[in-house]
Amino acid sequence: MTNETGRGAMAETLIKVEDVSHVFPAPDGGGEVIALEGIDIEIGRGEMVSLIGPSGCGKSTLLNVIGGMIAPSQGAALIGGARVRGPRPKEVAYIFQESALLPWATILDNIKVSLEFQKAPRATRDQVAREALKAVGLDAFATSYPHQLSGGMKQRAALARALSLRTDVLLMDEPFAALDEQTRMIFSEDLSRLLANERKTILLVTHSLAEAVFLSDRIFVFTSRPGRIKAVLEVDEPHPRSPAFMTSPKFNDLRNRLYELLRDEVLAAIGKDRQGLA
Amino acid sequence: MTPLSFRSPPPWVSRALVILLLLVLWEILGRMGSQLFFSPLSMVATSGVTIFADREVLEALRTTAWILAIGFGLSVCIGLVLGLAVAMSRFTYQTFLPVLLLLYAIPQITVLPIFVLYFGSGPASKIAFGVSHGLFPIAVSVVAGVQGIKPLLVTSAISMGATRWQIFRRITLPYLAPSLFTGMRLASTATLLGVLLAELYVSSGGVGHFTRRFGESFQPDKLYALIAALSLMAILINETMRMLERRFSRWT
Amino acid sequence: MSAASAAGQALTARLTPAQRRASALVKLSALALLLIVWHFVTVTEIVSPFFLPKPADVLRNFIRIVGSGQAWPDLKVTLFEFAIAGPIALVAGGLVGFLVSLTRYGARVFEPIISSVYAIPIIIFYPISVMALGIGPESKIAHGALFGFFPICLNTIQGFSRVDPLLIRLAHSTGASQRQLFWRIMLPAAAPTILSGVRLGLMLCFLAIIGGETIASIEGIGHRVVWYAEGMQTGNMFAYIVFVVLVAVIMNAALSLLEFRKGRS
Repeated sequence: MTNETGRGAMAETLIKVEDVSHVFPAPDGGGEVIALEGIDIEIGRGEMVSLIGPSGCGKSTLLNVIGGMIAPSQGAALIGGARVRGPRPKEVAYIFQESALLPWATILDNIKVSLEFQKAPRATRDQVAREALKAVGLDAFATSYPHQLSGGMKQRAALARALSLRTDVLLMDEPFAALDEQTRMIFSEDLSRLLANERKTILLVTHSLAEAVFLSDRIFVFTSRPGRIKAVLEVDEPHPRSPAFMTSPKFNDLRNRLYELLRDEVLAAIGKDRQGLA
Repeated sequence: MTPLSFRSPPPWVSRALVILLLLVLWEILGRMGSQLFFSPLSMVATSGVTIFADREVLEALRTTAWILAIGFGLSVCIGLVLGLAVAMSRFTYQTFLPVLLLLYAIPQITVLPIFVLYFGSGPASKIAFGVSHGLFPIAVSVVAGVQGIKPLLVTSAISMGATRWQIFRRITLPYLAPSLFTGMRLASTATLLGVLLAELYVSSGGVGHFTRRFGESFQPDKLYALIAALSLMAILINETMRMLERRFSRWT
Repeated sequence: MSAASAAGQALTARLTPAQRRASALVKLSALALLLIVWHFVTVTEIVSPFFLPKPADVLRNFIRIVGSGQAWPDLKVTLFEFAIAGPIALVAGGLVGFLVSLTRYGARVFEPIISSVYAIPIIIFYPISVMALGIGPESKIAHGALFGFFPICLNTIQGFSRVDPLLIRLAHSTGASQRQLFWRIMLPAAAPTILSGVRLGLMLCFLAIIGGETIASIEGIGHRVVWYAEGMQTGNMFAYIVFVVLVAVIMNAALSLLEFRKGRS
């Protein structure tokens, strides 16, 4: 394990993952699948961290352990020193691959319902929701229904919803996967600006090397199943990052190193599938 | 397909013409054929006026209407509760849905004599038999509605701290509204079918009884008038339900 | 593992082996409980045998009715009625559906009319059948055929109208004739929908015949239930109801088989 941790260890630790392993029954009935094995990480307040690795390496599982949606078979996650034992709506907000908006409610009502779930004070809900929509540039679409919006706008609405919850931590599970290339770029830039403005701690699960490098302070590279942390890359570049960063030598260098690290793992994952086919 | 040399009128105009043509055909055939089993439209219409002035027939209509209303109301309540209970969890769903479908598949008409045996020949057996027809479409539609809910919506709500009640109130209920109205539309027709079946069988009152009486005494004009009125009522109920269904499924 | 499987479980997702065992156990014990309660309340005569015969008696009567061939004449009548009404419903429904679907415009004009009429409980037309055709098999045949007509006709229209336009354009672009278009594209594409209409229509036809026999008849399996009911022979009535339900279930299974086979080829 090549550890290149730098800045992350210096900042105040907000999230701690202690020796987490997770096993679940195999979907085909027989046996068990080891999704995660011996994960130990610390994430500082205000850090932006990416989890990257081959499909099925357990990165989403780790996200859900931190979010309190999955109880790990072994070990524990801690947020602000307190052990996570269930959903933490006041501290953690999610953005999923799909927007998960209620189709029968307007964008504004969607956010207000979320605030109701979170037990935010009733009187402020409308104002908080409108501010969040403004922050992502959707204030003109408050009374639109999800089916009237494009995929990118729906994800933007999901981001507004997550922001409105005013949590310290944002967990993003492949939030750009269903979007087209141009939309992803714009979205990434927005996110980088957001990072510069607010001190959110963000964990991003992604498959995109460019996205990981462009957005992250640190990148955790996972091995193929069972998922372990193979390496940690640090991206030393202040937020907000401009599109120019993407063409810089530093960016290319990091991207190439990331690719080298991942290539073996992806090959290993594919190889396993091939054996399964034979 | 083949290009038409004239512009076809909008479908509803042709539809109205077709219906008009059928009515005219009814009149002509009625005048030509035997008056014993068949009556022309004009005669049916005039009989319609007389039978609906008849106190007895009006009483029967009122009886059937309130039996139908109670039966439908009970069907909705019981069907909704039953459907929600079955769709409560993965376990209850996979355990009890097959049972529900099995019961639905039993031809209710064969157990009609048992209903009469237990509930007598009064309104109770008609209501019960109507409910036995209306209950299942509702329950099955409700289950199908809950089944259609995207798991991600629930996951997302849980991550935001939603309670079970909030998930039910904010996700399950609105999500199943369109299916519930589909079920209610099917159930309104089915309940009417059940009530009429029971009325025809026990023949102790209500509209079903009168259709039978007019039929057995060979009064086709009155029989047709009553059936036409009932048919219009059934179509009206169905269309109202369809409208409600559309209203509540605009987002889908 | 997606987040979706973490908390919001799909209802159709597989149960764990332990849950599957529990599920089977719940179903079996519910059935057992039902039989035990039924047996208990009848043996102790908490419920009078006039209202509810003992399960053992129902079984004995059932075996006697089926075993002695006593049920055969009535079943023959019902099946005869079905053998005529079913094909009438099939041919009439299929033909009208096909003719209406010849043009898209025709389907748009006629489909709402036919589906509106289908909303009427067709049983109310039965007194007309009886008045015109008597209480013999003819009235049941007419009633059954009418009942079966609608789902077959409506599904035929729906099947043809939902053929993917892309397939039709593809056929035209390859220079297919009208005949080829129908036999090679339209019919196979519409077949699954039409067949499920046929299954439903024939089943409703069969049930409508039993319904007609129950309400006004002198023979047939539907009538025999009523006959026992009116003769206050509750034990025989229950046994015979079990028999009729069984016949209906077998009929349903047979018709489903047809749909399954044809739908796959």
